[in-house]
Formats: sequence, structure tokens, C-alpha cells
Amino acid sequence: MEHYPEELRTPPVTLVCIVGHQDLHATISTHLHSEQPPINTLALPDFTKISIIDKSPKENDNQLPSAYTSSGIIKRDWLLKHRTRVPAVVAALFDADQLSGDPAQWLQVCTDLENLKAVIKGRNIKLVVVVVVRFNSKDSITEDSLASLRKRAEVDAKYVITFIPDDASELNQSLNRLGNIFGELAVTFYRDEGRRVKTRLEKKSYGSIEFNVRYCFKVAIYAEFRRDWAEALRMYEDGYHALREMIGTSTRLPPIQRLVEIKMVAEQFHFKISTLLLHGGKVVEAIKWFRQHNASYKKLTGPTEINFFHWEWLARQFLVFAELLETTNATISSPASTVADRTSSDWEFRPAYYYQLAAQYLKEKKSCVEIAVSMMPAETDESCDSIVPSLYVGQYARLLDLGETSVMQLITDEDYTLFALTEEGKKLGDSTEIIALLKKAYEAYNNLKFQRAASFCTLLMAKEYFLTSDYTNSKQHFDKLTSLYRQEGWVTLLWEVLGYLRECSRKLSSAQDFISYSLEMSALPISSISSLQEMKDCGPAGSPSLKQVENIHKEVFAIVREETLNEEGENMGGIEVNSDHPLHLEIDLVSPLRVVLLTSVAFHEQIVKPQAPTSITLSLLSQLPSPVEIDQLEIQFNQSECNFIIVNAQRRESSSISHIHPDRRVETVPVIQLFTNKWLRLTYDIKSVNSGKLECTYVIARIGPHFSISCGAESPANMHDLPLWKFEERLEASPTKDPAIAFSGMKVTQVEEPDPQVDLILGSTGPALVGENFLLPVTLTSKGHSVESGELKINLVDTRGVGLLSPRETEHTSSSDNLHVELLGVLCDPTQDNNDGIRKVQQSFGLVSVPFLNVGDSWSCNLEIQWHRPKPIMLYVSLGYSPSSGAPKVHIHKSLQIEGKTPVVISHRLMLPFRRDPLLLSRLKRSPESGQTVSLPVNETSILVVNATNCTEVPLKLLSMSISEDDATQKNKAKTTCTIQSGIDNDPTLLVPGEEFKKVFTVKPELNASKLNLGSVCLRWRRDHESSKEVVTKQSLPDVNLESPPLVITLECPPHGVLGEPFTYFARIHNQTKLLQEVKFSLSDSQSFVLSGPHNDTTFVLPLSEYILSYKLVPLSSGSLQLPRVTITSVRYSAGFQPTTAASTIFIFPSKPQFLSEPEKKSIPADQAPQQITA
Amino acid sequence: MIVCIAVVGHQNNPLYIQSFTEADDALKLHHIVHCSLDVVDERVNNPKKSGPMLNETFLGLLYPTENYKVYGYLTNTKVKFILVTTDLDVRDADVRNFFRRFHSAYLDAVSNPFHVPGKKITSKTFAERVSNIVKSVSFHTTG
Repeated sequence: MEHYPEELRTPPVTLVCIVGHQDLHATISTHLHSEQPPINTLALPDFTKISIIDKSPKENDNQLPSAYTSSGIIKRDWLLKHRTRVPAVVAALFDADQLSGDPAQWLQVCTDLENLKAVIKGRNIKLVVVVVVRFNSKDSITEDSLASLRKRAEVDAKYVITFIPDDASELNQSLNRLGNIFGELAVTFYRDEGRRVKTRLEKKSYGSIEFNVRYCFKVAIYAEFRRDWAEALRMYEDGYHALREMIGTSTRLPPIQRLVEIKMVAEQFHFKISTLLLHGGKVVEAIKWFRQHNASYKKLTGPTEINFFHWEWLARQFLVFAELLETTNATISSPASTVADRTSSDWEFRPAYYYQLAAQYLKEKKSCVEIAVSMMPAETDESCDSIVPSLYVGQYARLLDLGETSVMQLITDEDYTLFALTEEGKKLGDSTEIIALLKKAYEAYNNLKFQRAASFCTLLMAKEYFLTSDYTNSKQHFDKLTSLYRQEGWVTLLWEVLGYLRECSRKLSSAQDFISYSLEMSALPISSISSLQEMKDCGPAGSPSLKQVENIHKEVFAIVREETLNEEGENMGGIEVNSDHPLHLEIDLVSPLRVVLLTSVAFHEQIVKPQAPTSITLSLLSQLPSPVEIDQLEIQFNQSECNFIIVNAQRRESSSISHIHPDRRVETVPVIQLFTNKWLRLTYDIKSVNSGKLECTYVIARIGPHFSISCGAESPANMHDLPLWKFEERLEASPTKDPAIAFSGMKVTQVEEPDPQVDLILGSTGPALVGENFLLPVTLTSKGHSVESGELKINLVDTRGVGLLSPRETEHTSSSDNLHVELLGVLCDPTQDNNDGIRKVQQSFGLVSVPFLNVGDSWSCNLEIQWHRPKPIMLYVSLGYSPSSGAPKVHIHKSLQIEGKTPVVISHRLMLPFRRDPLLLSRLKRSPESGQTVSLPVNETSILVVNATNCTEVPLKLLSMSISEDDATQKNKAKTTCTIQSGIDNDPTLLVPGEEFKKVFTVKPELNASKLNLGSVCLRWRRDHESSKEVVTKQSLPDVNLESPPLVITLECPPHGVLGEPFTYFARIHNQTKLLQEVKFSLSDSQSFVLSGPHNDTTFVLPLSEYILSYKLVPLSSGSLQLPRVTITSVRYSAGFQPTTAASTIFIFPSKPQFLSEPEKKSIPADQAPQQITA
Repeated sequence: MIVCIAVVGHQNNPLYIQSFTEADDALKLHHIVHCSLDVVDERVNNPKKSGPMLNETFLGLLYPTENYKVYGYLTNTKVKFILVTTDLDVRDADVRNFFRRFHSAYLDAVSNPFHVPGKKITSKTFAERVSNIVKSVSFHTTG
């Protein structure tokens, strides 16, 4: 758009003129400019300058032939004149003082007005008279003076206004008034002017068709001035059509110049129409209009010597339209409206399309210029220098300098052509412009995600660079294209691009690129398209054909083989491969050169033993059109000891054997030759050295002394299709003969460790017992390997695989107590030196280093494991060692499941003494299921029986059983609260499986506390063999409640009786309270006894004293007999007492028995006889 | 006159492309066919025209160039047919009719048990049939 003058590009703006009172000009013009619509101001400082708005007197300076003046279509400066020099309104500013004061000043005013009127009369310019008044003297101005002024100016009263500049609000009002009047008068002016010209049009009162066009243009411009867009559009279209008709008819100018002029004018019309349409949002109409414009002018190329002008002009039409379309944001929403219109497509709404075509036409122009320049006469005519643009749009004339004046002279078509060509030569290269246009199109397409169209623009750009010999840029652009064409398999397009790339590389002397591109080209699947007809414009590579491919192939291999070339060798352009410039190509999985050389490597076995031979198949495939002979193949592995080389026997001398490492294995084959699309399969044995992964990494093919291709090895199992060739119908053979290997073969094999020759024995001694330090012997015996830097790893794992911590307990605490099973340590044989060994033992993991062992030696250690809870675990022991120093490690793994069992179950029972019953109140109230806690009477002796049962499967030796106080109780209560006495400490007893051991303790609580901690049972035991260690098992006893019984009832009777011999039976009721206790008692009779004593009564027991019921009994029969039942009831506590059956049973001998140790036995009842009765 | 007809596969790869011009500007036509795939992609990915266009195989005018018109057709298996013609004023019905005949020729060609789907169509019979269809069709009905 910048081709056009500014006045054409922007919509016309009303122009007004202000004269006089220069100090106010800035204020007024700023205000008018910000009006809506804006008004431009031509500010003249005083009345002497008004002549510039007069009809231009200079017009007559350039004397032209009379025919010429009337022969242009549109004057070049007409629009500019109306936009900058011819105002619609002139405002004359006068000071109020000038009106009312001095007559001389008034006279001056009158003169100025007269001059002004004379100037504007011819143009019908409207006049406004402005009287500038100070705010404080605004009343000084009289109606009379205003009226006389109006009379002088010959204007309506409303066009004489006052202007008050020195008060803010008044100033604002004055400015608005001025603006309104200007706007109103300007519209009137432009309407009148337009109407005046239009009348001429309607009356057809014009001499030639040029005037028709010119009048249309003028009316349209006037319409634009007053923003009547519809009228403007109509008039422009009229003018455009009239102009189109002129082409065949007008004979006014020589044909070439006539066509040029018409095109230039049409361009302006077209630009105006397009702008109006697009700004009005009528995108579809604009596009239709453009299509029509293009159609009507495209064919008008003109004579060949000047047709470059046509192409340039056409390119400009497209470029300008693209720019217009781009600036109109309506383009985004427009395609929706096209559904109905089947003849246009979305593409026509995209500026990219127009940019691309502009570039295309510019290219056309470029070639035309080249032809025209070649035909141009050699001698340059001086006369061209004097040719300048003439008065009319699109016309040129010769400016003849005649001393003081100069004269425009018409020129001939020949002169014009020469002039245009010379002008063309002065301009910048078209290539830059073409590339800029294509770049714009490329970016626009890219934004639309039209990658193929964008690629096409890139291709055109690259070609343009190529033509201008900018090979670096050209190559860069071509390179961008290859991936798309390769990916989508467009072989013809790829062929063209590669041909250019090859040529660029040749020009840039890049041997690497040249050979890569040549190889890729020659391996393209050309055969399928070569049957097609010849193609032209395929670039430097020519039309794709088998012959062409073979030529390229031959050329490349001649270079790499460094063969002496025939005379064509000169065309190589310095591409050479020799000892100074060796060449190495790499082909990886994504390289486009995979079609040139594809290598597949398959191990026949997936797992191999070290040192054992295995087969490897190497398959090579090439799609090059002619057979390729390879001098030498080097196969590389990740374990470089396995690398080997295959040498072609026929090329032994040419292949540089110096590359070969002296230790390398070298295989020789008669010939290594690759035929098109035919696998070359080579199978070799290979021995792995080290264990671990063995992978074939690269296969390097050497062709000629200084050229090599390093090709990444691929596994047949996951080999991708060949790009481009995958779309071809061709025979697809598998890389190996064995279909199984072709299907699943890998380029990687796993080399196993050598078999371990060391025994690892985990001795097991049955289940472990909780609490003991369980010893597990581990023995290593070397049978064939010496053990060096051996390491024993020990792991304890829960059989359920959840670790050795129970999840719930980890939540609460994290101390090590929670570990159910713990590895305490590893005990090594002290005779063996193991001091420097690494030893790391954690709770469930251990690492122990093993000392050096010779073949036949053995080493052992014991694992010390402790169970805290009964739990089965898995023990994993693994040994890693090296058979010799530096050799890879060998591993042996062993595992063992071990049960952990509880050795003894401890239970206990609390009992009251025989025939002595304290009244425990808590027992009365206790509901059936309430307390587990047992109550004990204070100061009374109770009996605690502790049982220990062996629940293992092995006999245990019980060393002792005792009750120890807990740590907590010792801390809290320094004083003993009770005495616990045990029976005699017995000797260690053997407890066979299932047997129970009992021990009796007496407990006498001595303190009056509510709770008593009995401590815990402490059992010392060991397994029943000498080596085992003593284990202490502790189990805490539950707390008991303490109560002081208010009443204690003791029954007393001899241990046995003799038939017929009387004995005494007491029931003592001891009141331990400080209260008087009412007690009821009753006695039931018994048939076996005759008795005397109280039978049934209520009595009172005094505080802290005892009441004794005493009966005399004579047994009447013998055997185990029931004593008469005494029932005692405490009234206060509502508690009844009845002795248990056991307590009230006595054995009666029929006659006095004879005891062996009578005195001893007799002493016991004597001890137990009540002695405190008296109290 | 039809100047080029192409069958384009899933990966936008040409399966069959044949030009019918006297002038040897096949490469230019290849470029045109290739660029028109952009429009096919756009139409397939942004099916803004819902309703009757939903199951339409005929894609209509794809791409106007200065001298050619490009029409597209998309089969149910997403194989694209592209037609390049020099007739600038063509009725849609004629193009549809052409594509229908071409489609049936294509179906017969790919039904050949020796044809591997996704590979180029090399059948000579197909080529002959296509050239017969092209010769028999003329788009000059409207103008």
C-alpha cells in the first residue's frame, strides 16, 4: 500500500482555512482536529497570504501542447490540492477593536474582506467572519458594527460569530460554535461541488470519455469528503467501468502509454473500491470485486517488450489486496458466509493466497525483465534522463529545459519503453521482494497450520535463493522441506528438493552433504514413478528416472572409490574424498539414509553362557539401484573384545588393513556385495567374555580407502519399515532365514554369570523360640572356585512380604522394640581371622565380608537372631564373590523359612486361704461380667499359683521361677506394699513337651492402697542341651484391687476325726470395723453328727473384736462327711455366708489311724490352732 | 479438462497419482495436489458444517489456483481422492459423478487379493480404467 501517495490511502478530511489572529490558530486547529469527524485546518497568519488558496497560478508555467491538457484522465495533484490547499470554508478573524475603534482600522478590515471574497469567489468557498472579543468587554460590541460587518462580508447573520478566548467556558463554547459552523458549511461546500460536477456527468456535457472518468472520480472524492460512502462507491464503480471501456476505443496516446495510464488509473479506482468495501465489512463483495478486476485486466499484458510492467502491476494488485485483507480484521469471521457461494473457497479469504500469487507474478515480471533487458539496444539514450512523470496519473513526458522555463513534451512508445526499462535497472532486485512476499505467505500459512502450502512457499523461496546463487540460504530452506516430503512419501517432490540440495552442497563444496544427498537420491523408490511421463522443472537433478538414479549412484561411488574420472570429473566441483578429506557417514534409526544401508543383527540365543560360542547373524540391505561392493565390515559390540572384522577377499588390497587392530579377529569372505532389495546374510560364531549385556552397537562398512558408513545395528524383532519404500509394492524378505529369529531376534543377548562352585549351607535346627538368641549356622564350602572378596548378605523378610514391623505398631512408636524379629549379630568362628572384614548388621539386614578361601576350604559363621513375637520369617542369604581377583562376581542365593514359637505359656490363679473367708464388699456388688481385676483382702494371706506349660516340641530345662517387681512399681513406691513369699526354690526341672509346672506363692498385702501390682513372673529356662544359653521369659501379672474386709469368718475344725470321738468346730466372726456388727446365724443339722451349740440366733459383734460360735460334734459314721452347715448373715452389709462344700467336709476314720511320723504331723494343727481366741 | 487425479493414503502419502497433460508439468500438479491436502485436513479436523455435510464424502472445491480448480473426495476409510481440472466453471454434480465412478474403480483395484492395503496402486487395469473415465468425462456442461 505504500506504493500509493498518502492522500489516496487515507479517507479525505475536510479542510478549512483560518486567517488573522495568529495567536488563536493553535487552539482552533487542535480543537477542530479532535472534532468528530475531524477537520484539518489551513492556518494563514495574515490576509496577505490568502492568495495561496487561489487558483494555482503556476499551472500555466509548464507550457504544454493544447492537445495534451485535455488528454489526461486524472491530474496527479488534484486530490492533494483538495486535501491541503483548497479549503471548504475560510474564516476571517478580526479583533473587536478593529470594528468599533479607529476608522482606519475599519477600512483595513473592509479591504481584507474584499480581497478574501475575491479569492474565494471563483471556488465557491464559504466564508465565516469571526469577531474576537475579550471577556470583560464582550458587551462593548454593538449590533450595528456586527451588522455592518455582515454587510461587508455578504454573509448570513449566523456566519458572523463572536469568539471569546480568555474565559475557559466561553472559549469552549466559542470553539464548539466554530466547529459546528465549519462542519455544516463544509458539507454544503462539498455537496455543491459534487453536484456541480455530477450535473455535467448527467448532461453528458463532456468532450471525451476521459472527462467522464475524471468527473466520476471527483464526485466520488467529494462524496468521501462528506462521508457518503455509498455514493462514493457508486461513483468509483461507474468510473472504473467507464475506464475499462476506454481500452479498446481511445486513440489519444500511443498504445503502450495509453495502456499504462489506464492501468494506473484503474489501480487507483480499484484500491478505493476495495478499501471502501472492506471497511464496510463486505468481504465477500470485495473478493468478488477483486476476482473481477483480476479477470478483466489479467490478459492485458501489452506488447512483449513492456509486459514486465503488466506483471509488476498485477503483482502489486495482489499484494495490495492481501495487505488490505490482512488489515481488515473481518477476515476471521468471513468464511462462514461462503457456504452459499460455491464458487469461492476459503482460500480466497486468506491473505497468504494473495501474497503467494503476488510473488508468483513478480517472478513472472522478473523473467520478462530479463528478456526485455537482453533485447534492449546496447547504447543508452541520454534522452531517458529527462523523462519525468507528467501532470496526469500514469503519464510521462519529457521535460525540456528552455532556459528559464521548461516545457513538457509528449514522448513516443519507444522512448517510454526504454525509460521504463532504465528505471527498472535502477531498482532493487526483484528476488529480495519475491522472497519477502513468499516469507509473508509462508508465515500466514503457518499461522493457519497449512504446513504443506507453507512448505511450498519455502520451496519457492529456496529456489529463488538458488537462482540468486545464495546457496547457504537456499540449502537451509530446502533442508526444512525434506522431512515433510519424506514422512508423507512424496517421492517426486523429495527428488526435486534433494536435487537442489545436492547442487547446493556441490556449490558449497560440502562432500559430506553431497554424498549423503546423492546416496539418498539414488536409493529413492524411483521405479514406480519413472514409468510416468517426463517432468520438467525438476531442478538440477532432472526428471526422475532409473537412468538418472544410476548416474547419480555411479558418480558417488566413483568419488568414494577415488577412481580416476573421465572428462566429466571436472564437473564434480571439487567434491573429493581422499586421505586429506576422509568421509564418515553415520546412519541411525531416524536417518533418511537407512534406505542406503540397513543393518540388522540378531543373536540366535537370548541367553548365553560365558565363553560359550553363540551364533550371530548379520544382515545388510540396500535399496541402491546397482550392486554395491563393500571392502570391509567392522562389527562393534559394547564389549569391545568381541568386535570383529569381515574382509572382502577381492578388495583386500584396497581396504586399508591398517585400520585393523592387531588383536582383532578377522574373517575373510570371497566377496561382500549388496544387490538391490536383497538381504546379504552373514552368520558367525561369537564368544562372549564378560557376563552381563552383550549388544551389537554399530556395523561400519568401508568402501574405498577413505569412506566409511557407520550404521547403527537394529534388531530384527523391532525394526521399523523403511521410509518411502514402505509404500512400494516390493518383495519384503525377512533379514534372517530362520523366521523365528526374524520375528524375535534381538541385537542384545544376556551373558550369564559363570556357575558358582561354592556351597552355601544354611543349617536349620527347627523352630526358634521367642526370647532366645537363635543361632543359625551358615557354612561356605569352596568346591571349585577360590573365594575372593566375598560378601555375605543376610536379609530377614516377613513371609507375608510386609516387612518385620506390624503396621499398627509403626503408627504408634518407632522404637526398635517393635521389631518382631531382629538380627542381633553374626558370630564368626574366633579361630578364623576375620578382624578386617566389613561387618554391618542392622535389624533385618546384615552384610559380612568373607575372608579369602582357597579351593576346598570352608568357612562358617552363626547368625544370631532373636524373636520378640511368635512369627514365621524368611531368611535370605546371598553370597557374592569373585573366583579370581578382578573377575566378575558370582552370586549364590539361599533362603530358609524359620518359625518362631512361644516356648512356655504362663498362667496364674489367686486363691483365699482354706476355711478363712474375709467379707469383700466388692464381690457382693459385682455384676456377673464386670471386673477382670481380682480383689484381695488387706493384711490377709492369699495364695498365688503360677503355671508354666511347655508348648514347644523340645524338652526345656526350667531353671527357676520367681516373681519380681516391675520397674515401674519400684520407682513409684519405694516401700514394699506386700510380701510375696514363695515356697522352697527347687532344683532345675526338666519340662517335657506339654508338661505343666506349678509353683505356689503366698501374697499378703500390707498397705492399704486400692490397687496392688503383683510384679511379673520371671521364668529362667534353657533348651535341654549343654550349649544352649539360659533365657529369661517375663510375664507381668495383672493388677489386683485391695480391700479391707469388715468381717472375717474363719472356720476351724481338726483335719480329721475318729468315729465316736467328739471334736470341736468353731466359727469365728472377726469384726475389723469400728462399728457394732449385727450378725445372724443358723445351723443346719447333719445326720452324721451329734452336735451341741447354738442353733439359731442374732448377735452383735463388738468393734475390733471376735465372736466365736463353738460346737461340739460327735461323728456317727465314718468316711468323708458333711459338717453341719453354718449360715452367717451380716445385717449391715446384707451379706450371707455359707462355707463351700469342700470347706465343710471332714474325713472320719473308723478308728484312730496310725501315722508314721506322728509328732511332726501333729505339730501342724497345733500351729494352726487359733491362739488369739481370747481377744 | 481433468489434468491430474490422485489417490492419497492415510499418512498423506500418494498411492496413485496420474497427470493427463500434454505439457510435462506433472511436478507442478504434484505440488498442487500436495498443498490441497492442507484443506482436506482442515475440513476433516474442523467439521464446522454439520448436518447434511456430516456423512458427505465429496469435499467440494478445495483450492483455487490461478489456472486450476482442485476438488476433493474422502472415502470412509479416509483415503483421499484429489482431482485437478483446468475447467474453471464446473458443476458440482459432474464432479460428484466423476468421483463416484473413480471410487468404484478404486474399490475394484484394492479388492485385488494381491494388493497390499496402504501400498501404491500399480495395477495397469486400474490405470487404464482411470484414463477411460477421465477421457469420457467432460465438465463443459455449464459453459
